[in-house]
Amino acid sequence: MVFPAVVLVSASLSRYSITGLHQGAVGVRNYARLLEQEALGTVAANTLVWVGLVVGVTLVLSLALAQLLNVDFPGRRLVRWALIVPWAASLIMTAKLFVWIYDYYFGVLNRLLVGLRVLSAPVDWLGDDATVMGAMIAVGVFVSLPFTTYVLLAGLQGIPGEVYEAARVDGASGWRTYRSVTLPLLRPALLVAAVLNLIYVFNSFPIVWTLNDRNPGFGHDTLITYMYKIAFKSALRDVGLAAALGVVNVLLTLAAVLVYLKAVRWREVEA
Amino acid sequence: MVIAEYSKDHTGPFWRGLAEQYTKSTGTKVDLQIVDWNTIDQQVSTMIQNNQPPDVLNLNAFASYAKDGLLYPAADVLSPKTREDFLESFARGGEYKGTLYGFPILSSARAFFYNTELLDRAGLPGAPRTWEGFVTAARKVTALGGGVIGYALPLGPEEAQAEWSIWMWNNGGDWKSGETWAINSDRNVQALAFLGDLANKHKVTQVNPGKTNRTDGAFQLFKDGKVGMVIGFSPLAKQLDAEGKVKYGVGPMPTNTGTAVTLGVEDYLMAFKKKGNQEAVKKFLDLYYQPENITRWITAEGFLPVTRSGLKQMSGDSKLKPYLDLLPNARLAPTTDPAWDKVKLDVQQSIGLAVQPGGNPKQVLDRLQQNATAAAR
Repeated sequence: MVFPAVVLVSASLSRYSITGLHQGAVGVRNYARLLEQEALGTVAANTLVWVGLVVGVTLVLSLALAQLLNVDFPGRRLVRWALIVPWAASLIMTAKLFVWIYDYYFGVLNRLLVGLRVLSAPVDWLGDDATVMGAMIAVGVFVSLPFTTYVLLAGLQGIPGEVYEAARVDGASGWRTYRSVTLPLLRPALLVAAVLNLIYVFNSFPIVWTLNDRNPGFGHDTLITYMYKIAFKSALRDVGLAAALGVVNVLLTLAAVLVYLKAVRWREVEA
Repeated sequence: MVIAEYSKDHTGPFWRGLAEQYTKSTGTKVDLQIVDWNTIDQQVSTMIQNNQPPDVLNLNAFASYAKDGLLYPAADVLSPKTREDFLESFARGGEYKGTLYGFPILSSARAFFYNTELLDRAGLPGAPRTWEGFVTAARKVTALGGGVIGYALPLGPEEAQAEWSIWMWNNGGDWKSGETWAINSDRNVQALAFLGDLANKHKVTQVNPGKTNRTDGAFQLFKDGKVGMVIGFSPLAKQLDAEGKVKYGVGPMPTNTGTAVTLGVEDYLMAFKKKGNQEAVKKFLDLYYQPENITRWITAEGFLPVTRSGLKQMSGDSKLKPYLDLLPNARLAPTTDPAWDKVKLDVQQSIGLAVQPGGNPKQVLDRLQQNATAAAR
C-alpha cells in the first residue's frame, strides 16, 4: 500500500524524457510548473462541477429509489436485481455503450427524441460544448445509483417500525415524518454513501475519458483525466508533471474527506 | 515484442504465426503483445519508465527513442541484404543523425476517395482537382439533402496530423522551413482557415469536424454512403470492397498549387538495446524481412511495400495501382526529428479547436509553433 505512494512522490520530484526514461531529480520544480499550466483552472472547475453534481443528484435520486424499494410491491425482487446491472457492468463497457447512444449520426438517443418530437433536430451530445458535461454527469449518476441506493436501503431497513408508529400516533403527515424521523435516522447511511461517492467520483476515470475521447484540448477534462493526458497524450508527455498532479489529487481527496467528517462529527456531538 | 494493431483480422494471426515459426527454428520463446493505436504510446512509455522496454517495437515514431540512446542501429541487427532492399525515401525516413534506427515496416499513402453515385446525382463531371472545384462539389453534394455530407473532415485527436498535413501541403505550406519549425506560416494559417470555412461558412462537413475521428467517424459515414468525399487509404478501400455497398473512385488530392501532394506514412520496427538480446533480435528481424513474409502481411493488411523486392512483387496488383502511382509524390511527416513526437501529440490534441465555430486558426498554429520550438531545445 505504501510502496506505490512512495513511487508516486518520488516520480513527482523527478524529470523524465518524453520516452519515459528517468533523468534525475528536480526538487519541487514539477509542482511549480503545474501551477503555470493554463488549463488547470478550467480543469479544476470542471472537477468541482462533476463531483458536486454527480454526488448530489445521485443522493437525491437514491433516496427516492430506496424509499420505493423499501415498500413491498409485486415484482420488487426483479427491480432490485435489475438495479444491480449498471453497477456490475464494467465502467468502460458502460461508457462505450453511452458513446454510441449519444452519437450524433448513429445514436439511439437522437433517434428517439427526434422521433418523439421532443427535439426538432439531433443534438451532438458529446461534441457540443454546452451538453458534454451534462451528458457525462448523466452517465456518472447512472452508474452510481445502484451502490448508493443499496446503502440507503440498508439504512432504511435498519429503522425500527415503532418509530413510524409513534410518529403516526403524534399525527405527523407523510412528508413531515420523512423529514423529521427518516432522514435524521438515515444520517449514518447518508454519510457513508456521500463520502464513498465523493472519493469514487473524484477518482473516476473511465467515464470522462471515454465520453470525452473525441474532443481536442482540455475543456472538459477533470483533474484525473488531465493528469493522464499530461503523462501520455498531450504535447507535454511529462511523467514527472503528471505525478505531481497525482500527489495533489490524493491530497485533495484526503482533505475533502477530512473536512466532511469533521463537519458531521461536530454536528452529531451537538445533537 | 510490441506490435500495433493495424486490423483485428490480420495483425494478430500473422505475428503469432511468425512467432511460432521463430520459436520452432531458434527455440527462443516470443512474448508477443498486440496493442491498439489509441493506447500504444502509453503502454510503451510505461514499459520504459519501469525499465522493461520491449526487445522489438513497432510504432509510428522512433526518433525520441534514438535520441535517448535506447536503440540498436541497423548495422547491429539487420543483415546487409535487408538494408539494401529498403526503398531509398523510406530508409531516409528512419534515420536519426544519419544512422538508420527506425527500420521501415510498411507504408501507406493517402488518396482522395469519392462516392461516384453521389457526385453523379449532384451533376458533377468527376472528382474535383482544385480547391475551388472542391468547394463547389462539396456544396452541390450537401445540397442533395437527406443528411448527405459533402466532405467528411476528421480533425479529432485520433490522427488529426495526417488530415491536416495533406491540406497544408496542398496549399504550399510545410511543417518546417529548412531546419526550423514553420507551423504558423501564412500559407498554413490560410489552409487552416480554409478548413474552418468548410465547416462553419459553407457548412459542407459533418457536425463538429474538430471532434470527429477517422475510423469511427469519417470512414464510418463514408462506408454508409452518406458522404461525398473523404481522404482515405488502401485499408479503407479493402473494407469498402468487402462490404460492396458504396461505389467509389480513388484519385489525387485537390490542390491549391497545381501539384497534388499526398501523405506517405511509414511505420517502423525498432530494436531496444538489452543485454544479450542482439542475436535473438537479429534473427527475428531477418525472419520478418524475408520477402515472402513481409509481402504476405503487407498485402493482407492492404498497405504498401517498403522494400524494392516488395514493390516488384506488388506492382502487379491493379487495386494498389492508384496508391503506388501516388507514392513518388508522397511526403513523409518530419519523423526524423525527436521533437516530432511531441508536435504530433500537440497537433492531435489542439488542431480540432481551430475549426470550431469561433475557432481561431492563427492562435492555434501560433501555440503549436511555440511548443514545437520549445520542444526542439
